[in-house]
Amino acid sequence: MKTGTMKKAAVLAAFAILTASGLSAQTPTPPPQTFSTTIYFDYSFWATNNGYLTNTDPAVNINPLTNKFAFRRAYFTYENKISADLKFRFRLDADNTGRLTATSGTKDDRLVPFVKHIYLDWAGLLPNSSLKIGMTETLAFKTAEDRWGLRSVAKTLVDGYKDITGADIRASSADLGVNLTGAITKELRYGAMVMNGEGYSHPELNKYKKFGGFLQVVPIPGLNFWGYAEYEKLSDKPEAAKMVKADCYFDMIPGLNITGEWFKYNSDQKYNKVQQDDGTGTGTMISVNRHFDVSGFSIFSTYKIIPDTLAIFARYDGYQPDSTDSAKNLSLIIAGLDWAPIHSSWKIQPNVWIYNYKDSAKKSDVIVNVTFFLSF
Amino acid sequence: MFYEKFKKWIAIAELALALVFAPILIAQGRKMIQVKGSDTMINLVQILAEEYMNANPKATPIAVLGGGSGTGITALINSTCDIADHSRDFNVKEFNQAWERGVKPRVFAIAVDGLSIVVNEKNPLNRLTMDQVGAIYRGDVKNWRAFGGPAMPISLYGRQSNSGTYTFLQEHVLKNKNYSPDVKEMNGNAQIIEGVLADEAGVGYVGVGYVVDKATGKPMKGLKVLDISKDEKSEATSPMDKEAVDTGKYPIARALWQSTNGKPGSDVAAFIQFELGPEGQKIVEREGFYPLGAKYNEANAKNLK
Repeated sequence: MKTGTMKKAAVLAAFAILTASGLSAQTPTPPPQTFSTTIYFDYSFWATNNGYLTNTDPAVNINPLTNKFAFRRAYFTYENKISADLKFRFRLDADNTGRLTATSGTKDDRLVPFVKHIYLDWAGLLPNSSLKIGMTETLAFKTAEDRWGLRSVAKTLVDGYKDITGADIRASSADLGVNLTGAITKELRYGAMVMNGEGYSHPELNKYKKFGGFLQVVPIPGLNFWGYAEYEKLSDKPEAAKMVKADCYFDMIPGLNITGEWFKYNSDQKYNKVQQDDGTGTGTMISVNRHFDVSGFSIFSTYKIIPDTLAIFARYDGYQPDSTDSAKNLSLIIAGLDWAPIHSSWKIQPNVWIYNYKDSAKKSDVIVNVTFFLSF
Repeated sequence: MFYEKFKKWIAIAELALALVFAPILIAQGRKMIQVKGSDTMINLVQILAEEYMNANPKATPIAVLGGGSGTGITALINSTCDIADHSRDFNVKEFNQAWERGVKPRVFAIAVDGLSIVVNEKNPLNRLTMDQVGAIYRGDVKNWRAFGGPAMPISLYGRQSNSGTYTFLQEHVLKNKNYSPDVKEMNGNAQIIEGVLADEAGVGYVGVGYVVDKATGKPMKGLKVLDISKDEKSEATSPMDKEAVDTGKYPIARALWQSTNGKPGSDVAAFIQFELGPEGQKIVEREGFYPLGAKYNEANAKNLK
């Protein structure tokens, strides 16, 4: 073959390869992928001035924040439906607990994102099931969270317990491990998990795992009974954290949900920690050498007045953070509106929180919030 | 002094009043029938709603949104719509969720659709069997030449997995196998038509109401609607042949459904009755779909009671 002909052939071949690769590049094979963001923040003000948390007396509180804007949470979620049975989720979370110290040594209170979820969700193991592998939602309160649906206003009982009472219970909304949920019949659902036990904010600190499981019975449409138990050995000694939880969901009237939940938690004495009562509700955690149970209940209701536009909600929580000291008991009432004036991606949620304390020395607190919820 | 003493209770009382009266005031001003779901049905149901409101100016206003059959069914389960539009049945997971949430779906067929397989008019093929359509969308056959067509790689247009049409085709034609990863997933029927019109090697699936040029009653210019047969031995028929769709000779016909949670309330029932009545069914036909036969009418009447 002559040199000129060979050159032409080479050029044509190169063109053909480039064209083919160009064509294949133009042929999209995109799996369905979504990016979404949810943000919420509050404007809140104190309606009381002598409460346990809301004291404006300069002798108790030098710089009381009687009203403030507070950023609460930002989620950034990427989801990829790889096939009909297989999904992937990656979620970054930034919340108001993010604290960093800059290299200069100065305090830096900017929000710090962290990985909340990173898991594969496979629906092919058993009929009507979902197997999640990775950093996934835990089972302890996800079902109740779904019913409440107002995490922007407040976490549900167990999830928010530590924030409200300071009691150190080992319950996290996400953890590293495996969980399987599914339905055997329409009347019977199940869930089981094996997790690290440390939650999403710590690496594994011991060789023991947290085991948990639930059964949900739905005897008639809209009436649900849900029972859950978890167990986590904490050391080579006979020390373990245990939790039982029972929920009832009533969804028999369109748009109306009424939920009751109750739980009891205990760990062995070495791990029982309490918050030092320094009068501000922000005391440090210390270990105590005695055994006690932590328990609580919550009753809440949501009612959709106009679908996707207007709902009303109310909730009553009872907290017993130390079974040996009833003076620590407190209750919390939360009530408000969930209003989407223009579109469901933008909500305004005015809500009030009323704390009442068993200890008569602690005066009630009333805090009014206007929560702004954005989702896009 | 008085204010300071009762500040907490005044705040609680104000909020309680707001909680009681604001929803009532807003609800009175904003009451609407919310319809959500199938993108195949969205144009049809929007037109039905407009004509219904024109004929009944005092009736409760109706808002119609798309998003796909899955979106509509989920909205019904979550009580965020009054009517779900869906071009496929509830699946087991949705049925279980509905049971859990106390939702008792009542299902109404409002029209019949011949699911249409469309190609660019430059494609010389006129017919395919169900198996051939399945092989194309599974990605088992990748060139039109395999069916006696031009030597061109097949360019696939389809819907996203929340679409009822996606699921219907997967169940009834792909034999529950996965779609080829080469399918270009479009947002709706109109986008599939646009894709096929611009692509000589393209093939798509859409509701029959989207292929008809309303002015001529024939397929849109530039588009060819393929005849489909159940198998090699059966007669291939067109989704535009009303008799073939009615008698079941056209093998991928289906009903288009609406569901409510339990017996519909009077305002919702009035709209559904309009859709199922002579005026509504005339609109169904005008929009390129097929009116209901006796079998569906009987079931609908029973569900409205």
